[in-house]
Amino acid sequence: MILDTYFDKVGERPLLSREEEVELAKAIENGDERARNRMIEANLRLAISIAKKFRDKGCSFEDLIQESNLGLIRAVDRFDWRKGFKFSTYAVWWIRQAVQAHVAGQSGAIKMPSSARAIMYKAQKFKEEYTSEFKCAPSAEEVAASVGIPLNTLRAIYKSGSHAVSLDRSISRDSSGGRTFAEVVGGVTDTDPGDELDKVSIRAMLVIALKKLTPREENIIRLRFGLQENKADHVNFPITKSMKKKIEARSSK
Amino acid sequence: MSMPKGFKAENGYATVSERGGYGYREIAEIMSENGFPMKHSAARNYFLQGMRKLASPLVEVYGLSLAEVERIALDPRFQESVADIIDEEGVGI
Repeated sequence: MILDTYFDKVGERPLLSREEEVELAKAIENGDERARNRMIEANLRLAISIAKKFRDKGCSFEDLIQESNLGLIRAVDRFDWRKGFKFSTYAVWWIRQAVQAHVAGQSGAIKMPSSARAIMYKAQKFKEEYTSEFKCAPSAEEVAASVGIPLNTLRAIYKSGSHAVSLDRSISRDSSGGRTFAEVVGGVTDTDPGDELDKVSIRAMLVIALKKLTPREENIIRLRFGLQENKADHVNFPITKSMKKKIEARSSK
Repeated sequence: MSMPKGFKAENGYATVSERGGYGYREIAEIMSENGFPMKHSAARNYFLQGMRKLASPLVEVYGLSLAEVERIALDPRFQESVADIIDEEGVGI
């Protein structure tokens, strides 16, 4: 509701012609505060339209508009009418940069430092260029080398940059109840029930098959794997001559 | 023509030294002392024969070809699983 009122008010402001933009820019240079306000107000529609493009990035729309407006103010303060560009052409970059920085910093549960974000951006760009040139994706080592950081660091950055989702969030898009992620996502130590059943049946089969071994075969298998209940059982598991030699050789070193 | 470079098992070999197990020569020595004279190669053959017997029912149940018996019997992962089961179940002797 509040936003609708805001949009209505912003819509009432007339757009500026090129000549008006230049006049206002000149006045702003001379410190005219009213001209500055008029320039900002006349371009609020542009700020809203850019903010709208970032609505699905996990930030509130009100915040996006605020950040977008801050970018607009920065553009008004830095606009140089002498270069001959339209104000909107110049302002788009400042507004987009402000919104992108906000989205990158606020979306997700973990806030990433700007240096890490810059590395992710560089790595992404390298991947795109590599793929378009060689028609295949680069290896993780190549990406790490291209941005000049160790592979482990790159992996850690990617891991922390991944989008976090609340386990309490509903799986359905309309969040109208239904199952949550916590109900369906397995724990790290959880195993597939099918795999567990397979294991049990294989084990049962092996236990039956073990009974069919001859005593000699079972004895040899036990000796091969050192399967004695008592470690000091030197009757069934004696110290052999070759073992004696090894022990003596080790102790004489 | 160069000489064959020998055989390398696909999945390595089962660990026996960490379990306190014996080599085939030592097994042959122990078995010989207990009245079953054999060489190390016979000890290995008995061991693999046992493994084949254990792998056979798996091949039947999973509908695999008989050639798979040999592959499973030689697989160190299978051999170590068998060792774990004997250790836990205490089957036989």
